[in-house]
Amino acid sequence: MTDSTVDVRTPARAKSGGGRAALVYLAAIAAAFAVTLLLIAALGFSPTRALRTLVTTSFRTSFGFQETIKKAIPLLFATYAFTIPFMIKFFNIGAWGQMLFGATITAVVGLVLGPLGVPRLVLVPLLLAVGAVAGGCWALIAGWLKAEFDINPIISTIMSNYVALYVLNLVATSARFRDIAEGHPMTVRLTENATIETLGGIPLSIVPALLAAVFVWFLIRHTRLGYEITAVGFNQRTAETYGINFARTILLTFFIGGALAGMGGAVEVIATQRRLIEGFATTSGAQYGMFGIVTALIVNANPVVVPLASFFMAVLLVGADALQRTMQVPVEVVFLAQALVVLFVVVARERFGGRTT
Amino acid sequence: MIAGLSAILEQILVYATIYTLVALGIVIGGRAGVFNVGGEGIMLAAASAGFLAAFFSGSWVVGFVVGASMGAALGLLLALLHEGLGVNQFIGGIFLVIFGTGLSDLLYKVVVGVVLEAPQAPPMPEVVIPPLSSVPFLRSFLNQDPIVYFMYGAVAATWWFFYRTRLGLETRAIGELPQAADVVGVNVRRRRIIAATVGAALMGVAGAYLPIFVTGTYNPNISAGRGFMAIGIAIFAAWKPQRTIVGGLLFAAVEVVSYQLQLARPDVPFQFFLMLPFVSVLVIMVVMRRFIEFPASIGRPYRRE
Repeated sequence: MTDSTVDVRTPARAKSGGGRAALVYLAAIAAAFAVTLLLIAALGFSPTRALRTLVTTSFRTSFGFQETIKKAIPLLFATYAFTIPFMIKFFNIGAWGQMLFGATITAVVGLVLGPLGVPRLVLVPLLLAVGAVAGGCWALIAGWLKAEFDINPIISTIMSNYVALYVLNLVATSARFRDIAEGHPMTVRLTENATIETLGGIPLSIVPALLAAVFVWFLIRHTRLGYEITAVGFNQRTAETYGINFARTILLTFFIGGALAGMGGAVEVIATQRRLIEGFATTSGAQYGMFGIVTALIVNANPVVVPLASFFMAVLLVGADALQRTMQVPVEVVFLAQALVVLFVVVARERFGGRTT
Repeated sequence: MIAGLSAILEQILVYATIYTLVALGIVIGGRAGVFNVGGEGIMLAAASAGFLAAFFSGSWVVGFVVGASMGAALGLLLALLHEGLGVNQFIGGIFLVIFGTGLSDLLYKVVVGVVLEAPQAPPMPEVVIPPLSSVPFLRSFLNQDPIVYFMYGAVAATWWFFYRTRLGLETRAIGELPQAADVVGVNVRRRRIIAATVGAALMGVAGAYLPIFVTGTYNPNISAGRGFMAIGIAIFAAWKPQRTIVGGLLFAAVEVVSYQLQLARPDVPFQFFLMLPFVSVLVIMVVMRRFIEFPASIGRPYRRE
């Protein structure tokens, strides 16, 4: 992978390196699972029962399936947040902070406008847009620091995560918004017109999630900007030679990634929690940003397969919760399993799958 | 209550020790060409393993040896992934963060489980250097636990190694122009693997220091982002080992002062003070960017052409 060679393949063709690549992929995932099950057995639990719990909990009951969708939605947004800047080889570790910031601003706007009686059909789309813009602007800080001062986005996004955490805490404990009846920092509930309904146990926030997926697919495959992002990702210098503005591409990828994370935060606030709660973006013992990174790395940041990957990752997370609940297997075991899946998939891709990012 | 000046200085020194050791570890690997961004995960895994070792052996020395070994093992893993298998260093580092986070809590849960009274680390002695330790001001820097002295020694030794030994010169050359080092017969890969392992061992010491000395007990996520902030210190230090201590003291001062300000100014929302260290990292990096030069080959695995 040298800078001077031009890779003319599109990502789609680069991926379809035949059945061999898929086989290597599946083998890597199977190997990671095997190691995890060995670990579970070593800890004195039944590995077969663990595997069954892990894989089937989402599909055995309708409650399990609803839980899976509920986890898949924020995960999808977080995965996109990492994926889009990663297409031009930058690491956005800040999906978490972008979610928190988007959620916080959404909650503030929702709590202010809700009681004014703004109709739901106006307010809900407005709140989703507010979350997206807030998250996008939050990520834009890191994009700007990279474009203007060449500061590594890994550092700037991690730092902005912690800052966002305290911004959320500030709002959730403020005299204006805090629910004083609760011990844990959280705001009062949003009014009905600022929330999204559930239908048959499935939150209708699945609609913005699916729209986001279509948006990303269309953006990457059918717009000039998407083409520019792909071109910069393959070869920055060649792309610049052909007149693509690199700094602008950095800013736009970070804004779009952050906007998707921010919308994910907004969706959590208006559909799932219906208020802003400290620690809301956390599931199975870790935050969605981290799971989003894991998911994106496993699929090599291919935006088209992100929805499917997010769903399967949510299956694992629901399985992990069940594992902890019914078998008392520490939830960290699944955390390690995911780290191993990333490791094995990345190594397999490097050794057998041709090029990687 | 607002602590006195000498108490504040001592507190700063404790946090500076953590920051400096992790940043020094990043610098050692980085100068050889391995950029380890997984310090947070290494610290967490070492904190858990080191604490458990210290608790069950009753000896803080054992705790630090185990912590350093855990760090070294994870650093070795990163180096092998990178130099041996060609895995991107940042992806390798992110893997270490996730892996270390999971491993630390798992270890503690499996060994200790849920107990009413959290186990306490064995006490550490204070090292006193008789004439100097009674001088005011200087006292705050010397009247300390052994790990502070270890940090001083590690910074000095690393400086001496990089700038006063042939081996150190060669290691720096590997980070700048590995082809040239290879031509004169330096084993690039082996040196890089050693540098990354030694660097990560220092991160392990810093990780173990948290539960064994600073808090006395193990808590989940005990490193609280300091492993990430140390990346900023390594860059602030322009990859020079002697400057990591300056960066460490500076960042520790920001952290301690932000705690003190919370107590001094209850009228200002405390969240603003808690944000301060993280915002400072970014501000300092923007201000310092002109004086920073990365080792030229950092981040790229070495392949003969």
